[in-house]
Amino acid sequence: MAESTLRESIVAPTTAPAPASRGARVLQFVADRGIVVFTVGLIVFAIVFVNGFASVSNVSDVFYRAAPIGIVALGMTFVVISANYLDLSVVAQVATAAVIFIGVSNQAGIIAAVLVAIVVALVYGLVNGIAVGYFRANAVIVTLATTFIGLGILRWLSGGSIFFGPDGGIVQSLGQAKVGPVPLSAIVLIAMAVILGFVLQKTTFGFAIRSYGSNKAAARLAGVQTGRLVVGAFIITSLSAMVAGFVLAAFSNTAVSSMSDGYDFRALAAIIIGGTSVFGGRGSVLRTLLGVVFVSVLTNILVLSGMGFGLQQVAIGALIVIAVSVDALARKLVKS
Amino acid sequence: MVHSTQNQPAAIIADRISKRFGGAVAVDGVSLSVAPGEIHAVVGENGAGKSTLMRILAGVIPADQGEIRVGTELLSGGPRAALAAGVALVHQELSLVPDMSVAENILLGSTPTAAGFVRRAPMRRIAQAALDEIGIEVDLDEPIARLSVSVRQFVEIARAVARKPRVLILDEPTATLTPAETDHLLQMLERLAAAGMAIIYISHRIPEVFRLCTVVTVLRDGKVIQSGPVAETTPREVISAMVGRELARDLAGEHTSRQPGEVVLKATGIRAPRVNGVDLEIRSGQIVGLGGLVGAGRTELVRAIIGADPRIAGTVTIASRGRSRQIRDYQVAVRSGVGYVPEERRSDGLALTMSVVDNVALPNRAALSTAGVLRRRRITDYVERLADAVGLRPPKIQRDAGQFSGGNQQKIVIAKWLGRQPALMVLDEPTRGVDVGAKAEIHRLIRGLAAEGAAVLFVSSDLPELLDLADLIHVVRDGTIVGSLTREQADERSVMSLASGEKAVVA
Repeated sequence: MAESTLRESIVAPTTAPAPASRGARVLQFVADRGIVVFTVGLIVFAIVFVNGFASVSNVSDVFYRAAPIGIVALGMTFVVISANYLDLSVVAQVATAAVIFIGVSNQAGIIAAVLVAIVVALVYGLVNGIAVGYFRANAVIVTLATTFIGLGILRWLSGGSIFFGPDGGIVQSLGQAKVGPVPLSAIVLIAMAVILGFVLQKTTFGFAIRSYGSNKAAARLAGVQTGRLVVGAFIITSLSAMVAGFVLAAFSNTAVSSMSDGYDFRALAAIIIGGTSVFGGRGSVLRTLLGVVFVSVLTNILVLSGMGFGLQQVAIGALIVIAVSVDALARKLVKS
Repeated sequence: MVHSTQNQPAAIIADRISKRFGGAVAVDGVSLSVAPGEIHAVVGENGAGKSTLMRILAGVIPADQGEIRVGTELLSGGPRAALAAGVALVHQELSLVPDMSVAENILLGSTPTAAGFVRRAPMRRIAQAALDEIGIEVDLDEPIARLSVSVRQFVEIARAVARKPRVLILDEPTATLTPAETDHLLQMLERLAAAGMAIIYISHRIPEVFRLCTVVTVLRDGKVIQSGPVAETTPREVISAMVGRELARDLAGEHTSRQPGEVVLKATGIRAPRVNGVDLEIRSGQIVGLGGLVGAGRTELVRAIIGADPRIAGTVTIASRGRSRQIRDYQVAVRSGVGYVPEERRSDGLALTMSVVDNVALPNRAALSTAGVLRRRRITDYVERLADAVGLRPPKIQRDAGQFSGGNQQKIVIAKWLGRQPALMVLDEPTRGVDVGAKAEIHRLIRGLAAEGAAVLFVSSDLPELLDLADLIHVVRDGTIVGSLTREQADERSVMSLASGEKAVVA
């Protein structure tokens, strides 16, 4: 081979894939950054056009309602980013934590309640995580089954009854606590977002989760202990669901096994609308927080405009279909 | 370039066919003509474009340029149109449905039906006729999953023959067959040709070509290098045309003979699926190449050695920095200083939607963090240094890995391991699909690793690369090492004849 041609081909930039088409770039932008634009736009729209939105009491109400689902969504972001779809069993976990928080507190005090709840959360995380991470079972089916088991145990042990905290008890006072005008639940939500955001973005564990979600085979071949990683993601989700259960119980000072119905899907909605890819790898805790804000503000707008619960469901469901399709389409176009 | 042995019109004519995949030209202006009754061999090295050309002829993939005529008809449309025109392809990879019966598989895609229901009697009759035609006895109701690989190969051929094609294309049909089965197949093909079928026969095995075929076409780098009656050429000439390139090793001056050091890798009795008992030893500073045909079990072998796939039997020890460790699984291998560049870099080597920084940092994350918290500054410094060492172009380390060319992606995969100063570096097809400049750089990196004392094990189907890089070549066939050649003993012919199992070719 002639020296000159060799030299030339080394110096010449090797061909990179052709830039994506215009349509692909627009989709990519929407999938990547749409949530910021949409959230800001929605809030501005609500402030200008929706009567009663921009008041302290309404905004604080939005946060009250957003906090439990938001906290679940923040934790579940880890499972979604690890490319394991979602953890459906958060429904059972939130209700269980809420019942323990009030039921056990009434009997043995709040510290005992928290300790019991932590043990339960770890069991959930380990069972889900080991089945999915080590045995490679499908996360949707595993967590569907653990929801069933978990709710069954809860109804069996609680007899399906409603638990009330005593008036003026510690649970109720936590639920009503505020720092200035800001409810404690909102502070917990933000604090969880900061902590979990740090874990996902800045620690080796979070980095390995993102890498694993992006390409499982490559992560394994880079020496990542993948089973342990998936267990970690499920444990984080479980601990978050536990905190959400506490917040939910404190909010109403009651707990019942059916109080978190629909949390699985609504948490997933916030994650997906936030722009975290269900294909794994791409996304962040901050995105989920934005997704939570977006869904909460939208729901609030619909409520304030007098729209019923049924229509709210239709709106959120439709948004998910659009968000997931945009994600899938953007991915496909970028690939081809 | 177009030959016809008989004076009758050709059964199939390919006229100046070209096909590109991304930046790589797979088939470059190839013309081919096959007459009825002719058995036309198409030979070439791995990656010469044979399989691509055959898939174009069978309508599986469209050509970018050129046209195909079957008889006088211009062929257009997908595989169904090609089948309707009478072109049947027997794939290299088996394409049978494992859970369905022999009869169902033979008639797959053309199952006789009445009012939407499968008519079993005619199906069995047609399937039996096809099996009779190729002279194979097998139970029509047996599920494919319970048949041996070689019987499956014959069922696959029966499936093609059942369609009564004018042109039958076989892509490496003997790769999985025993010598007796090969004899049977060759006789069968002679019979089909005598009945007027045009046959295109792809093989690595030159003696088969000379025994069976009437015309031989040699492809190299997607181009026709030589084409003519078999009677007018010799095996030696065909092999030379296949491997081509100037046999002189132009970079020979670079081979400063290193003195190999201590044994780093010791593998004994390795068995795994498609690996049938291999012993291997590599010393510090030594570059060992694994040659052989595609499907010989080389990838399976290296993956079993380092624990990336489970082993059935065998022990592996890696000695580095004064410590000797048994390698039971891949995690231990990585911790013991193994670096692995997999064959499929896009699916196994890189997270394409993550940045170069993230990809390179992943295996090194423990060293680039404090108490589990990543040190951004340290990471970018580290990755910048490695990107420079491997010559990443453009050197934009914050870009997603998926945005780089194949050669630069491969450099990123190598960079992942380079900073760890691996004791054993394993590379599978390190320069496949890589342009010539990047290839030279990757070779430089591999030599550099060995010079620093790493043991290097690599798999390559690229003969010049194998000869150029390796101090010692082990040739693998059917999951075992069938021969080992030192740098002095190895040349294209000796490697190829060991790889194809045909000692007769050795001059």
